[in-house]
Amino acid sequence: RMEASCLELALEGERLCKAGDCRAGVSFFEAAVQVGTEDLRTLSAIYSQLGNAYFYLHEYAKALEYHHHDLTLARTIGDLLGEAKASGNLGNTLKVLGNFEEAIVCCQRHLDISRELNDKVGEARALYNLGNVYHSKGKNVANAGTHDPGELPDDVKNALQKAAKYYEENLSIVTELGDRAAQGRAFGNLGNTHYLLGNFRSAVLAHEQRLLIAKEFGDRSAERRAYSNLGNAYIFLGEFETAAEYYRRTLQLARQLKDRAVEAQACYSLGNTYTLLQDYEKAIDYHLKHLVIAQELHDKIGEGRACWSLGNAYTALGNHDQAIHFAERHLEISREVGDRSGELTARLNLSDLQMVLGLSYSTNNSMMAESHAVENTLNGGRPRGRRYSMENMELMKLTPEKVPNWN
Amino acid sequence: SQPLAGGQAAELQSKVVPSKQILHSNNMEMEPETMETKSVTDYFSKLHMGSLVYSCTSKRKNK
Repeated sequence: RMEASCLELALEGERLCKAGDCRAGVSFFEAAVQVGTEDLRTLSAIYSQLGNAYFYLHEYAKALEYHHHDLTLARTIGDLLGEAKASGNLGNTLKVLGNFEEAIVCCQRHLDISRELNDKVGEARALYNLGNVYHSKGKNVANAGTHDPGELPDDVKNALQKAAKYYEENLSIVTELGDRAAQGRAFGNLGNTHYLLGNFRSAVLAHEQRLLIAKEFGDRSAERRAYSNLGNAYIFLGEFETAAEYYRRTLQLARQLKDRAVEAQACYSLGNTYTLLQDYEKAIDYHLKHLVIAQELHDKIGEGRACWSLGNAYTALGNHDQAIHFAERHLEISREVGDRSGELTARLNLSDLQMVLGLSYSTNNSMMAESHAVENTLNGGRPRGRRYSMENMELMKLTPEKVPNWN
Repeated sequence: SQPLAGGQAAELQSKVVPSKQILHSNNMEMEPETMETKSVTDYFSKLHMGSLVYSCTSKRKNK
């Protein structure tokens, strides 16, 4: 009777998770664990699903705990396929938690067992996971500095090249298996890896394939992702008109999908692209749209960034009143969110603007001295606060004159 | 006195002209992770339900 009860609870948990309600699913799975079962395979399946549910709920410590239980159990009962699956899931979770070395060991175990069992599907999935771990590892190290794509230290480059290798191995298997959905995923992440490596032409080729497959499936989220990634690559190819076209399509889909954060991101990208095209009126138009959504979503960092961009665009148009208004707003917000880099930039912008307008700034020596002190503390790492923005955007130098040389 | 000679003003202005330094979106769009799945249902239907389902459906057919 108790056995049936555990099973019933677990079945309800499965049903709820499949229906997309992971939170409720977790309650049922945890109740099932409470009741308990003598059947270790059933328990393994419950642990595995609990781990995945917590993963999708972004509660990674819990996900780690349950996937670890599952792995132990699978080993205990000598379930090799179960061990492979648990290892893969544990690897994915460790990756998200930033423990790349252990993640690699786990994903490699998933790969080894899949090969041992001659499980092609498992092998392909393990290769994709390994690619993802190396991609994250590379990106994580790269983010510690402020590198542009294509300008990378050796360890970052090595990790990204490994990622590309695993994605390509995955692609050759899933192509053989005729799994188009898996091909789409691999092309997308391969494209992003090439982008980080500075292989922008290869990135475009991969994202074009991703786009094709997204359209085949009518997967509009994937289609939007591809447009956005294509836009990013064309920026670095110096083809700003093409980039603008892809960002416009991103915006169109973001609106259709009613995703305000993504819509804001697309507006911001368009604002920057029109800035590069020196069409400042259009740039202002999009940065204002971005500003409105950032305010709506209470995204202070995004709002600060919009003000900064608007200040610059108005300066370029010679509209110094508006420029000062937004520079002041940028300074205010930077202080509010504790963005020291933004604060420094805003101060410099304001003093430049004041000088252009012929206002006295010579009494502000102390302010300038303070700015330099801020600058010195910034050399070490990323300013706090930036990484929490909805857009996850980086402060980076982008000099258009330089772009053609990056090919 | 305000030192606003033409050349100097242009130089100062270029410092804040956005094309020199813009906040570029570095927001790459990654594909979703794939998690391995286990199911109580799979296991149950293979080992326990198989005969049950069979007997149920055959009963239904008999009715």
